[in-house]
Amino acid sequence: MFDFSVIIQNWPLFWNGLLVTLFYSAISISAGLFIGLIIGLMQLTGSRLLTTIGRVYVEIFRNIPLLVILLWIYYAFPIFAGLSITKFWAGFAGLSLYAAAFYAEILRAGVQSIDPGQTDATTALGMTYYQRMRRVILPQAFRRMIPPLAGQSIIQIKNTTLMSMITVPDILYQASYVSSFTYRPMEVYTFVGIMFLVLLVPLTLLSRKLEKISETVK
Amino acid sequence: MSADIKKKEPLLQIEALHLHYGIKPVLRGIDLDVMEGEVVVLIGASGSGKTSLLRCINLLNAPTGGRITIAGEDIYNAGDDRGVEPSMYTGANTVPMRDVNRIRSQTGMVFQQFNLFPHMTALENVMEGPVTVKRADPEKTKEEAMALLAQMGLEGHEHKYPRQLSGGQQQRVAIARASAMHPKVMLFDEPTSALDPELVGEVMKAMTQLAKSGMTMVIVTHELGFAFEIADRVIFLDQGCIAEDGPPNDVLLHPTHERLKSFVGRFHETANLLRPFLEGTG
Repeated sequence: MFDFSVIIQNWPLFWNGLLVTLFYSAISISAGLFIGLIIGLMQLTGSRLLTTIGRVYVEIFRNIPLLVILLWIYYAFPIFAGLSITKFWAGFAGLSLYAAAFYAEILRAGVQSIDPGQTDATTALGMTYYQRMRRVILPQAFRRMIPPLAGQSIIQIKNTTLMSMITVPDILYQASYVSSFTYRPMEVYTFVGIMFLVLLVPLTLLSRKLEKISETVK
Repeated sequence: MSADIKKKEPLLQIEALHLHYGIKPVLRGIDLDVMEGEVVVLIGASGSGKTSLLRCINLLNAPTGGRITIAGEDIYNAGDDRGVEPSMYTGANTVPMRDVNRIRSQTGMVFQQFNLFPHMTALENVMEGPVTVKRADPEKTKEEAMALLAQMGLEGHEHKYPRQLSGGQQQRVAIARASAMHPKVMLFDEPTSALDPELVGEVMKAMTQLAKSGMTMVIVTHELGFAFEIADRVIFLDQGCIAEDGPPNDVLLHPTHERLKSFVGRFHETANLLRPFLEGTG
């Protein structure tokens, strides 16, 4: 019933698609972490203005579906701004900005989950805000943040498939292309599913391990 | 000893200290002088403001009015607020933050929940203050920290993490951590309240040892027996004011204040049984 020869025949397309998926995963996770760190720290400064800006950012990007964000950036934003935007920038920006909102929340929650007694103890020793963050709060918070950060990154890799809707040639886009001229959707989409399992199951297991490690430092 | 002390300036001076949470007054004009080497115990019902007062001394709680001086230096001075209606206090401190941190590091604090740094060993916990805040030489600090931990009876536990230690051991590490800064005064916030009964004794012993070494101490505790033993002075706080202040014998055994009488009631019964013995030795 299954005829996987279509996969082998069109292997170069799938391989390119896989590389595109990995490339976008890597750059959008990196950029998302960087923007998320800034947005998260803004909400921890105690400044009401910065906190509000951070809050608004998080709520906007957390509550609009990623597909809508991508379509908006690619098709609507150029009309608003009167400039053209490439697929690359639309996909990269959409994925990164979306991921940043979630990373920012993980960072904020991680820092805020540290017992206020830790702040009391550092303050009583005469530490400054910067010393307290660097020596006591962030080392503890980062260990607690490892599991949710890993989890969010796995979701991020899966989310890259939404870029196929703005014609970025990722693995899903290549699959639908192959399926359109081979009339073999069953094999093609099954293969895409298996590819993600092969890619992400090891990462999921790794994040479980990290979770155990971060529990021991509680 | 007391004649000696009276000639000196008080180490810790608190004047007209007010603290409000919102519009709710917690401290309503506290005046308190603590001499060098003196051990002062604060008692009172929950909500009387004793922990708030302790946390105001190193500004973990920001007062809303008054003045606090440690070893002749202001750590808190509300300035122009003095003389204004207490509910109008802004709480602004005229002492710059840099000085606050410096003076703060001359006070040591021990908390009810220990608040050790869980990602550091016992030794690293004790070294953290001197090395990070005072920029002391790590090698020298390490030697000193080892000695402090040994004094606290923690030899062999130096490289353990807080989670590997019992509550009593953790609290003794916390006392060593506070002592490592060579504080002029040490503040204890219900240091034995979170401990299992069988672990209370070892922490009290460590504190008694510290008191005998001449450390100036302000202690909030519910352990009236311990207060009786360790205190030079016992202060009874009631509704944000000092209601009684005197030697433990007066305050705990011969209270005059009505609320204090009922507060020490249970302790009193035990103390009455002990009195013949105490009078015989005293």
